Amino acid sequence: MSFKYPVVMPKMSMTMETGELLLFHVKVGDQVKSGDVLFEVMTDKIDMEVEAPADGVIETLVGTPGDVIEIGKPVLIMLTETEVMAFDFGGDAAAPAAPLAEPVAPVAAAPVVQPVAPVAPVVAAPVVQPVAPTPPPAAPAPVVVAPVAAPIIVNTSVKAVPKARVEAANRGIDLRTVHPTGPDRTITMSDINSAQVDPAILKRQAANKALIAKGIEMTRGIAQASFNRRANANFDHAQLISAWAKVLRARPDLAAHQHVGVSLIIESKYGSALPVFRDPDLINIEELRTLVSSTSDAAKNGKVPIAMLSGGTTTIFDLTTYSMSSATPLLFPNQVTSLTIGYDSESTKNISLTIDLNFCDFYDGALLLDALIASL
Amino acid sequence: MSDRMLTMAEAVREAMSIAFDERPEVFLLGEDVGIYGGAFGVSGDMYHRYGSERVLDTPIAELGIVGAAVGAALSGMRPIVEIQFSDFTAQAMDQIANQAAKIHFMLGGALHVPMVLRTPQGSGTGAAAQHSQNLEPWFASVPGLKVVVPSNPADAKGLLLASIDDPNPVIFLEHKLLYKIPGRDPVPEGAERIPLGVAKVVREGKDLTIVATGIMVNKSYEVCEKLAAEGISVTLIDPRTISPLDMQPVYESVEKTGRLMVVQEGPAHAGFINEVIAQMAGSSSFGSLIAPIKRLAGMNIPIPYAPQLEKAAVPQIEDIEAAAREIVKNWR
Repeated sequence: MSFKYPVVMPKMSMTMETGELLLFHVKVGDQVKSGDVLFEVMTDKIDMEVEAPADGVIETLVGTPGDVIEIGKPVLIMLTETEVMAFDFGGDAAAPAAPLAEPVAPVAAAPVVQPVAPVAPVVAAPVVQPVAPTPPPAAPAPVVVAPVAAPIIVNTSVKAVPKARVEAANRGIDLRTVHPTGPDRTITMSDINSAQVDPAILKRQAANKALIAKGIEMTRGIAQASFNRRANANFDHAQLISAWAKVLRARPDLAAHQHVGVSLIIESKYGSALPVFRDPDLINIEELRTLVSSTSDAAKNGKVPIAMLSGGTTTIFDLTTYSMSSATPLLFPNQVTSLTIGYDSESTKNISLTIDLNFCDFYDGALLLDALIASL
Repeated sequence: MSDRMLTMAEAVREAMSIAFDERPEVFLLGEDVGIYGGAFGVSGDMYHRYGSERVLDTPIAELGIVGAAVGAALSGMRPIVEIQFSDFTAQAMDQIANQAAKIHFMLGGALHVPMVLRTPQGSGTGAAAQHSQNLEPWFASVPGLKVVVPSNPADAKGLLLASIDDPNPVIFLEHKLLYKIPGRDPVPEGAERIPLGVAKVVREGKDLTIVATGIMVNKSYEVCEKLAAEGISVTLIDPRTISPLDMQPVYESVEKTGRLMVVQEGPAHAGFINEVIAQMAGSSSFGSLIAPIKRLAGMNIPIPYAPQLEKAAVPQIEDIEAAAREIVKNWR
């Protein structure tokens, strides 16, 4: 299957809003390899060569040299056979967030009601909050581009001298992680200079921040309730995903979707990935087990197939690998339920369910959890 | 003779004498500027050298004095007005703010008012509340006036010559305490002008930028010397003209030091020096600041008569030193 992949104007500095397309190094029909220079961009600060994110063929040149293009807007579209480029956490921390693309295949047309983000809540590189969604380029097939994310958040809740803010932004330091030693607990330049930033931690923080930002965004104005129950521990991810999908399928009133999409949070050194298993209760459990296992392995390497990045209707977070017993999971946009699995004892686990009280009440929540545990 | 040390009174007198010699249309008028030689002795022997037609003793009527000067300036003369105490400019404010400052604008540029109004300002002489004010912001907030605040004899000479040349009304604010003391730098011979609207970087350092006006430049300089001995190096900037204001050296310096302290004698509230802070806060150099901007200014009270209180009402060397030390120590 071949995917349309828009290569967008990257965000190369905190203040950058547009970039000038200087020249293309490729023309329509060119075969390119990952890392080949596609085009050059000029900003007020630097000139930069933008490289191909994957092997593929140039399909459309959207921009024209000399154009001033907003960040996140497509400069060219390439066709790629590579599924794994949906996001790439392995890049430089300062690199722009990789755009996300829906496959050209009919899945994109699935009636998923997701006004905020047209893709599953995938956490991308140093990302905080979604900017305006990028409209699809004038391409024949529907290409949906995810909201382009801005880099490090400007956090005004911590006190810092102006230069510290500038430097923190430049160096990718989250001011909330810096210990303030200045008067009135203000972050000074020496605090910034002594902040030990591990690039891996930095990426992780940025990724988690995106998750948190999404959580905050959607919990605003939403009433939630959480339930906690103990269950026998003898189930694996595939069984849990399948059982939970089955429970939700019996309650079509709880989702404005024609499918059940269970997204499983997989932690990796690159951040959190959320592959979505569509209608997992309708496939053979052995097949599902294989799929869950291979997807988890891929996600741990920072790779998730594009087709699995959208359509989540519920989310599962397994805390047992952290020896944690419970947590209150956040609801993602357009999801009404979220589960966490926590460690309880050798033979038992804690299952926590969070529900959106705008769509169901406490009784519904209790029934859902009951049904899940019964089917496990 | 390049090592001539003059007091500010001598330097101002020298500048006026040069202008008198250069241009017949220059004359001086004010209370006691003639036979008495000026309330602070600035005009000195000029009455005897130039005669009563060019050095005019006037009645005690500030509005009339400035009004006469404005009229003379409109008629092609270049009057220098001396108002005995800057506090008394309040009496003459209609002529200053509504006539001198506005005429060029309101007559479509047809006429201009090349007048210089010199007046001593500031506290420290035990002259109490009505003879001790620092009124820099009064004048700096009136478009159409240029405002000069010299901090030393050499600058006073060059700036006064430029002010007399200038086709606009110029308010020239001299500090009483500087009249009698020689400056740090010699006063050059000759008639060299110092252009208005160009700040002076008095000394350069890397740890702190101080912007000060008038006598506060001198006080700050002493602090700079003392701190330099301890390894704290300070850039000291004297705007010299507060209207128009030259901020460029301030931006450039703050981009190096990251710390800004401003010092003025006048009350903090709505004081002139706040303009420096405002322009810094709105500039692209703002992101260079590694410390909150520190303001040292007079208290928001009339200048007291009691000497101890008078001293306490405006920044002193110890205050500047303590504040400079603190900002450098606390913000790294």
